[in-house]
Formats: sequence, structure tokens, C-alpha cells
Amino acid sequence: MSVLAACSGGEEKTGMRVLCAGSLMMPFNEIEAAFEAQHPDIDVLVEGHGSIQVIRHVTELHEESDVMVVADYSLIPMMMYNTEIPETGESYTDWYITFATNSLGIAYTPSSRYAGEINGDNWHEILSRPDIKLGMADPRLDACGYRALMLLSLAETYYRDDSLFEGVLGTFNPAIELVPQGTATRITVPEIIHPESEKIVLRGSSIRMLALLESGDIDYAFEYRSVSEQHNLEFVGLPPEIDLGSVEYTGGYGNATVLLDFHRFSSVRPEFIGQPIIYGVTMPRNAPHPEKAVEFIQFLFGPESRRIFDENCQALLDPIRADNLPQVPQELAPLLQ
Amino acid sequence: MKQDTGRNRRAIWGLVIGIVLIAGAAALYAVSASGDDDITWDVTLVGRNNEELVLSYKEIRDLPATKSRGGFFTTVGVVNGPFDVEGVRLTELCDLVGGVTSGDVVSVCATDGYSMVFDYKQLNGDIETYDAVTLHEVPHEKQLEVLLIYKQDGKTLTDEYGRPLRVAAVADADLLTEGHNWVKWVDRIEVIKLD
Repeated sequence: MSVLAACSGGEEKTGMRVLCAGSLMMPFNEIEAAFEAQHPDIDVLVEGHGSIQVIRHVTELHEESDVMVVADYSLIPMMMYNTEIPETGESYTDWYITFATNSLGIAYTPSSRYAGEINGDNWHEILSRPDIKLGMADPRLDACGYRALMLLSLAETYYRDDSLFEGVLGTFNPAIELVPQGTATRITVPEIIHPESEKIVLRGSSIRMLALLESGDIDYAFEYRSVSEQHNLEFVGLPPEIDLGSVEYTGGYGNATVLLDFHRFSSVRPEFIGQPIIYGVTMPRNAPHPEKAVEFIQFLFGPESRRIFDENCQALLDPIRADNLPQVPQELAPLLQ
Repeated sequence: MKQDTGRNRRAIWGLVIGIVLIAGAAALYAVSASGDDDITWDVTLVGRNNEELVLSYKEIRDLPATKSRGGFFTTVGVVNGPFDVEGVRLTELCDLVGGVTSGDVVSVCATDGYSMVFDYKQLNGDIETYDAVTLHEVPHEKQLEVLLIYKQDGKTLTDEYGRPLRVAAVADADLLTEGHNWVKWVDRIEVIKLD
């Protein structure tokens, strides 16, 4: 699917498709415009999806893409390294670059109940109150949802309070089970999720929480820091030991695992081990415009994109690193460690 | 006068035959243009007691149809529709293999390995609906239906929209539901008894 689009002068532009994680849409829309201003012959088509869907569009729906960016870098080796392109028998890719990060916290508005009280120390006590409405993404459908479960499990250990998880979320029927496994905890999520408390509001994606917060239908929601700040919401940052935002705490995050009874994608084993939220980028081997894709990734790591990410409160990794460096296009190697 | 009457009868018969031929040709053209006649597709229904029934696309088309209207949006808010849709209620398909109760869930699976689970309340309309412009949640006034659809805006589905059968969660209004419910390329519907 090589896309040609007519530009205003009547010349044809090369259409380059970039599939990216939904939480990056705001900065990527600006990066698209900035890149096109420097490359008037290219029409960048940015398309946002959940990260698993970003990869499935290429590996299972067999659509062409030039650049792929996901909110969980580990999906790239899991879903692409050993998956063959039907026409050639080669793997879809064998490298990725990690370049950005995020953290999970509590988004709210000045009108939220107890907005004047909540902070990074008492958040779990406020969220345990029965008269607040708490929103979260459905953990069966959205990474933000299962990451919120990990966060609460890690918080039980951090605050030495083994009733914290149930205190905040209440009970479910069927139950979400927390099973201790040595120092770790496995959280088992059933096929359907019915909160028994009316204070919990579940939706299919974390983005849906934004409108519910604005309308006052919920008081608080688990949300990514970048998304919360991009939408001018108040945000309670949480200790790095539990917010899934620090590489230094990778080992500790691994103490929370979520196992879904609901098997949404046959190609993805529904077991997720806690790890820092790190974004990864790659190019599929069958990208229609590999040279342009390399230029786009160079631009992504350049000063103009850094400014855009910074203005959109999207944290970047420094240095950026590659997996399987010898396979990375050589033009990108000087930018990597 | 007799000759005139005979001529008139022949003319009338000629006209009738002509109309019949034209109508027949038009009907054939309509079936062909709808893209229906070349669809070979089966859906396996599995009941809570593992009773299995395989229905062809044509057999599903022959079941009582429900018409409604609605659309969906993706994770990042890309709106699709609203559309006029036509299909069969998921609950009515489940009835063919023993029905679905409040203690069951229904798993809808697709050829691309995607699946979605609906509980009893959702199958009977308990799904949030959203304004098609603002994407804010708004209540639905009419009954929300979860359908297995084969027509969208009067035409068979295109591959992009899940040809030939996909799920639609619609409330007969210009309202949207979340896109993860709209499973494309459905080939299996299974009633699962919760433990």
C-alpha cells in the first residue's frame, strides 16, 4: 500500500504511515507537522491504536507501515521477532529502540471530592473512601488498566498494608484474586469484571476517563502522567517504587504479575509482568519507504521532537538504546548507545 | 373489432412478459450487486452444554432480522459511522444452542484471532453510549442491541468493516459505542457457563 497524495502545488507526495500508541497521539500530531514542514515531499499519516493493535495491524492484518511505536517495547520482540512475513519468510523485525517513558498516577480535577486533601502520601486513604467515584480502564482491554492493578499490588507491599488493594477497588464478582508467590503477587483477572461497589467506574480505555473527570462523573482515575498533563488535569505523582516509571525499580515492579482469564488476542499470552513503562520504536522489514522511515526516526530523536515531547510532558530516555544494535539501520546508530 | 381485441391481448401479454423479464433481471442484478451470492462463510455456535451448531452465511441471513442504527469509535477517538445496520441479535443466535442466562458469558471470536466477551447484561443493552460529535457519554433512549450484522447502510459489509459478519452494539440512534465490541470477521460464538 504505497500512498501517493497530491500536494497543493500539484506534485505528488509520498504517503508514509506511522502507527503509534494512543498515549503518544498529541506529540506525534505535532511531530508530523514539523517533519512535513522540513520534508514537503512526504505526507506522514499518523494513526493511533492500543499498542498490541499497532503490531497486529502489521503482523496479523498484513497492513503495510513504515514506522511503529508502542508503549511497551517488550511487545516488539514478543510479537515481531519470530513472526514471519508471508511473502519472504523473514521476521517482521529484529531490532527496536527504546526512547521514552511514562509513569502512572492519579488524575483528578479541582472539583473532585477531597481535591484539597489528596497528595502523594494519603492517596490510597482518599481512594478508599466510599463516597468517591474512581475510574479505571478495563484491565482486560487496556494496559493502563492492568498496570493500575500492578500499582495497587506493589502499594500493598510499599505501605505494608495488605488490605489496600481491596480498600481502593472494593470487591468484584467473580473475584480478582491476589495470589502470593514468594515475595511476588500474581493478580488473576476473570473473564468478566463486575465491581460490587458502585464507586468503581470501568471503561474500555484510559482515554475515556478524561471526559468522565471533566463532567464530574468520576472524582479520580488512574492515568499516565503525560496524558493527564496534556489535558490540564491535576495529577498526584506516586512513589517511584510503585509508579512503574523508573528503570531503577525494574526488579521491584517484577513482583506484580497480572494474568487474564480473558484471551483477547490469540497471538498474545495474557500474562503481564510488572516493568517500567518504556516506549519502543521499530520499522517493519517490509516497510514500503524505509529511507523515509529512517529519516522520520532520526527526526524523532532530534532537537525539534525533543522540544515537542517536552511541551507535551512526555518524558524521554537519555540515552536512547537499541536492542540488537547490529541490525539497526546504520544511519540511526550514531544516535544510540 | 375482433382483430383489434386479439391484437390488444397480444400487446398486453407482450407487455406483461416484458415486465416480468425486466423485473427478473433487476432482481438478479440486485442479488449480484449486493455481493451476497458468492459468500461462503460458516459460524459455529456453541451452547453452554457444548451443543454445537454450524450456520452458513445464508442460514444466518434467513433468520429474523433486526434493523438499527449506530457507530463506534477507536481507542484514540476515531469515529466510524453512525450506520444503518441489519443483522441478528446475538441472544437469538444463542437461543439456537440452548440460550444464555445471567450465569453465562458469550465469547465472540474472529478469524484473525481476536475475541470479545459479553456478559448477560451487556447482551441485553447495558453498554455505554456516546455522542457522535463530542464523544461524551449520553444515555440511550431506545433499546441497545448487540447484533451480528451483515448489512451496513444497505450493503453487504466490505472487508475493511468485517465482511461478511461482524458485531455491532447499537441503540437505533446516532450514538456510538466503544470499538472493541465491534468484532470483525466473526466465525464462532460460544456460550460459556461461569464457575
